[in-house]
Amino acid sequence: MTSPALNVKNLTVRIDTEGKRLTLVDNISFSINAGNATGLVGESGCGKTMTAMAILGLLPASGVSVRSDGIEVNGKDISRLNAAQRRSVLGRDIAMIFQQPATALDPVFTIGQQIAGVVRRHVGGSKQHIRKTMLAALDSVGFSQTEDIAAAYPHQLSGGMRQLAMIAMATVCKPAVIIADEPTTALDSSTRTLILQQLKHLQTLQQTAMLFISHDLNVVRQICSDVMVMYCGRLVESTDCQSLFSHARHPYSAGLLSCIPQISTTRPTPVRSIPGQVPTATELTSGCHFSPRCSRSEAQCRVSVPQLDDEDGRGAACFNPL
Amino acid sequence: MNTLEQTSKIPLLEVRDLSLSFHQQEQVAVDHVSLNITQGSTLGLVGASGAGKSSIARAILQLVKPDSGEILFKGEEIHRMNPKELKTCRQRIQLVFQDPSASLSPRRTVEQTLLEPLQHFAIGDTSFQHEKALHILDTVGLDQGALRRYPHQFSSGQQQRIAIARALITDPELLIADEAVSSLDVSIQAQILQLIQMLQKDFGITFLFISHDLAVIRQIADDVAVMYQGQLLEQSSADRFFSEPAHPYSKTLLSFAQGKSPTHRPDDKRYLERSRRKAGDSSACLFAGFCPDKMPVCERVEPPMHDIQHKNQDGLESHCVKCHLYNEVNANDFRE
Repeated sequence: MTSPALNVKNLTVRIDTEGKRLTLVDNISFSINAGNATGLVGESGCGKTMTAMAILGLLPASGVSVRSDGIEVNGKDISRLNAAQRRSVLGRDIAMIFQQPATALDPVFTIGQQIAGVVRRHVGGSKQHIRKTMLAALDSVGFSQTEDIAAAYPHQLSGGMRQLAMIAMATVCKPAVIIADEPTTALDSSTRTLILQQLKHLQTLQQTAMLFISHDLNVVRQICSDVMVMYCGRLVESTDCQSLFSHARHPYSAGLLSCIPQISTTRPTPVRSIPGQVPTATELTSGCHFSPRCSRSEAQCRVSVPQLDDEDGRGAACFNPL
Repeated sequence: MNTLEQTSKIPLLEVRDLSLSFHQQEQVAVDHVSLNITQGSTLGLVGASGAGKSSIARAILQLVKPDSGEILFKGEEIHRMNPKELKTCRQRIQLVFQDPSASLSPRRTVEQTLLEPLQHFAIGDTSFQHEKALHILDTVGLDQGALRRYPHQFSSGQQQRIAIARALITDPELLIADEAVSSLDVSIQAQILQLIQMLQKDFGITFLFISHDLAVIRQIADDVAVMYQGQLLEQSSADRFFSEPAHPYSKTLLSFAQGKSPTHRPDDKRYLERSRRKAGDSSACLFAGFCPDKMPVCERVEPPMHDIQHKNQDGLESHCVKCHLYNEVNANDFRE
């Protein structure tokens, strides 16, 4: 068996605020093999982005505590690097695609300068070589006029094109792992589909392991083989996409699925929503965090924390699964 | 919905041949668009970003001045109203925006936010206004403790409920929702969609619902209108649109929305490029460059709007499509 490209072991993120210590990511473990894409889904504030930032080591040092038993990229632990070591890893071994390319790209440099900067830092070589690599990256995400795009500033591109440029920048050094944080949320559906296809194509081609963060299960279904559902900082279900969509076992996963409006030829049944709302980190109770909103909760759910029930660290974290 | 009986009725809102441009008529935002919304029904207005959907909403409320065309609300010409008449009219047409955290004033309590429209339109005395605010909060599913709080103390779903409450408090007949659920999480979106469905059913409110998300439109729209680069390309009942879309662009949109790439794609990338129409651009069909069914005529002549009517159990149902493919379909040639 091959070792996974990304292996996260017992990751916990806590912050200190107003004298209280809040757990935002609660002891999560998962791994992604090369060439696979795993979706991380959940509502706003459930800890998805915190997980990504903690993996990349981008959280501020003060006030935040990140604990883990190792975050391995191709077997190399990246959780205990100093700043200089981290800079040589980010962009080369593991890269991130951010939600808002408009803010993630630097407005005062051209697209070409920004992508070339990544190549110069991690690969080096002659000016011509760097430029060739940069143009090849723009070509690989589907731009036809690569020279024009390279010479353009971010504000001269549409939202969809900026996101493609962002993907080119993240993939230019062919990293082993890509973390994509809601890369298509701000785009309309036609642009979204095209960009997802481009991302999927590159990820398959480069055999990258991808952690794909989204609140949209429909999008996750399009490009991921596996999916993890997160609620209040904990993984509540981890399985393959097909199983989740055909038979979600955790009541929260089932609730999320029933919220998605579907396109059908006859008038669809109205969407159902999950009663109540996501508690904030200060309002969390003991036991299963979903139990106050859950129709299947029992006395045990309010006392002890259920664990993912499969032996390989997957399954549903529920005492009374569907 | 669209039966003969209803087409003979005066629509609640009628937009006739509306055109709107920006930058000294350099950029065309809306190009000769006509729309009808029947009382009590919901029209879903769809299209990609920049298609002119929001411009139509703004023109209806006269927040921007259209170049030409007529806007009739219950037969009254909004575009000819003086400021006083317009004020009365706006009481009956309200708008809900996409991002509640931006459309609610951070410095006002929910009570101040809700009372303002009533004070502005001088509806009722203070005690009536207060009663009304409590009632409307209950309608959108918030308790009265919300009155004394500020927008930032609520979640995004609750904020959108407050924005909807503010729009409802003047008892409007038409609610324009401009991407009102697009920025919300799926679970919150589901709650707001349920609220809108309740308003449709229990209050009979007419909606112009603008969205780029066809799955959301499917949930709540009775009729669908498709816009592309300022033009209206298709308008039909939602059932007809989602089972048999007529315009090649509509078919493309639907397959994209279902996560499929259209079977024929001449140049995908060009979809991504921001296209703004300039005045005096070619007279061809705007979609011809991407159209899988393109014919020679499409590049020379702008297609007319055809009504390819359908028979249904109540009579005839109108289905308008702006495409040369339907040139041979005679208006009397009913399709089953």
